[in-house]
Amino acid sequence: MNCGLCGKEIPADLGPGDGKSPCGSCRGGCRKIHCPYCGYANPAPGKFLRKMLQKNNEEKTDE
Amino acid sequence: MAEQQQPLPKVVLVGNPNVGKSVLFNVLTGAYTTVSNYPGTSVEVSRGQCEIAGTDYEILDTPGMYSIMPITEEERVARQILLQETPHAVLHVIDARNIERMLPMTLQLIEAGLPIILVVNILDEAKRLGMEIDLQKLQKNLGVPVIGTVMKRRQGLPELQQAISEYASVPHKTFTYGSDLERDVTRLATVIKGDYRFSKRATSLLLMQKDEDVEQLIVTGENTENLELLQTLVRDVIFERRADLHLQISMERKKICKQMLDGVVQQTELSEKEPFAELLSRWTVNPWSGVPILLLVVYFGLYKFVGGFGAGTLVDLLEGNIFEEYINPPVINFVQQHVSAEWLFELLVGEYGLWTLGIRYAVALVLPIVGTFFLMFSLLEDTGYFPRLALLVDRVFKKIGLSGRAVIPMVLGFGCDTMATMVTRTLETVRERIIATILLALAIPCSAQLGVILGLLSGVPGALAVWLLAMILVFLLVGLLAAKVMPGEHPIFYMELPPMRLPQLRNVLVKTLSRMQSYFMEILPLFLFASFILWSLKMLNVLEGLIGALSPVVRAIGLPVEATSAFVFGFFRRDFGAAGLYDLQTNGLLTPAQLTVAAVTLTLFVPCIAQFLMMKKERGLRVSVSIFVFVSLLAFSCGWVLNKILLTTGLLA
Repeated sequence: MNCGLCGKEIPADLGPGDGKSPCGSCRGGCRKIHCPYCGYANPAPGKFLRKMLQKNNEEKTDE
Repeated sequence: MAEQQQPLPKVVLVGNPNVGKSVLFNVLTGAYTTVSNYPGTSVEVSRGQCEIAGTDYEILDTPGMYSIMPITEEERVARQILLQETPHAVLHVIDARNIERMLPMTLQLIEAGLPIILVVNILDEAKRLGMEIDLQKLQKNLGVPVIGTVMKRRQGLPELQQAISEYASVPHKTFTYGSDLERDVTRLATVIKGDYRFSKRATSLLLMQKDEDVEQLIVTGENTENLELLQTLVRDVIFERRADLHLQISMERKKICKQMLDGVVQQTELSEKEPFAELLSRWTVNPWSGVPILLLVVYFGLYKFVGGFGAGTLVDLLEGNIFEEYINPPVINFVQQHVSAEWLFELLVGEYGLWTLGIRYAVALVLPIVGTFFLMFSLLEDTGYFPRLALLVDRVFKKIGLSGRAVIPMVLGFGCDTMATMVTRTLETVRERIIATILLALAIPCSAQLGVILGLLSGVPGALAVWLLAMILVFLLVGLLAAKVMPGEHPIFYMELPPMRLPQLRNVLVKTLSRMQSYFMEILPLFLFASFILWSLKMLNVLEGLIGALSPVVRAIGLPVEATSAFVFGFFRRDFGAAGLYDLQTNGLLTPAQLTVAAVTLTLFVPCIAQFLMMKKERGLRVSVSIFVFVSLLAFSCGWVLNKILLTTGLLA
């Protein structure tokens, strides 16, 4: 997944609340992926949606 | 006796993600590859072998990296490989279409003294976009071999193989920075005595940028006396340049790249898509065209789509039809039939019931509005509009004398105020951190709350415009205050702009659904909890007293006493309060002017409990309570002033 602000690729194994500085203040844990490069809060897709996104990236990355 | 095998010469592939490194790796190595985790990490590194001109080579495909100064674990592994291996050649693979953005890393690799071959891949796409790249000239400028390729069609493969087999390491060019930066680099480089994989110049720059791995390397690489001297020097340089070192290095590298590319890239023909994307990109960051574009986005994206369709059509359908006619009556009947205790009836379907307040607000009022808002938000996000909007805001702020430093927490705050509050710890002084925390608590609603408030106001003609004007004035007030307290000597806001592109449907849908899901999971327990608290207060006969105590304040800003409960909701979350206001407005209890005053007041509240907890964690209980009181007082004061103005002028009457 690419960060919605800086456009850099967020490592695939980064889960909700992971990253350089998860704040951990939200009840039930953070459901956002904070970009390790710029800190922007990107949505954290669930398992099914993550698969959809990966499929999309695989189709796109044929270079 | 078995013959001892000589290690094969290594060729390491490095570069940004999605530039075709893996395709090149597969083309070079064929099917004989192994994938294993890099020792001590979960990051995978692929290794393979190939034969070029009669010599066998080991090929290593590293994880994507944007810079040799690592941030993620993947980048750290890629950099570790460069620091530990002794490669015959390092292939830096870049995307020809984004050559200007990717060349700074080439400079870093050359600066590090690594045996670099620059592979300019995806040349066919660049040509299709009208880019002509003079690779010979680029090679001359950089002083390292440059090979153009289209790896998915194996174009350029023989030339690349020849460059690998004939690679002869020669001293690299030195790219000179500004005199003050050069002075500091030289100061450090002359003290470094150890033998490192990276050049002394690159090691010095990494030390100046507080690279922990390199700091560790010098501990083992330098003798005790020299280490102390070097560490003292590094500390001095870092302290002297604490305000803008990273920015200056980035800017100077960008400047050198521009010189390297001077006359190298020619835009020979106009293509159909990219030039328009570039043109649009320029328009969005220019204040004269960017502000009208922003207003168009607000009008069509927020006012028409979120306000008209989300808060109007969808809420009417869900709340007015489905809930009111089909869901609520059977639910209430069922509870009436099976529950005899009044307290339980009240708890489930009463005025502040878990169903009638908590679930109805979350599902029927808030979700359709934030759903449409998130759809628009994700659509804009996928085009690459947001970094340009940040740049535009920064430019507008500078034009009116505001510091660029205030932009960073604001931009992050629109994503998540709680996280942005934590980011304020990176500011230099306590005073700056407190001001930035106030700015976030007061004037920056997070995207979801913004969506609900905008959706609520869009249904009332004129309300959104007045709200926007009021918020801009508050922005300017707090912004000028911030500029006075946090005067930045240099424009601190710096960001590489990713290319603008057409949004991809699947990306937009996934992001929208993910946001809706996480938002719903976040607010539903909170809405239910708030309903429970309100119900408890009502049962204990405390709520009336509380509403009575707050009602003079609510009346003072021109609102009916019924609006007090919405403000009590607002203490839990601003969007919960906004949903309460929506309910009042649809029941005809609020005039357009009252709705606008209430929305402005509510927007200026502390956004949510999570942010308050973060404020407490970052600034301490005393400061965070003071901020809370200050923000609440200011919110009501602004509401009072706006009410007086609306009454005097007759606006929204």
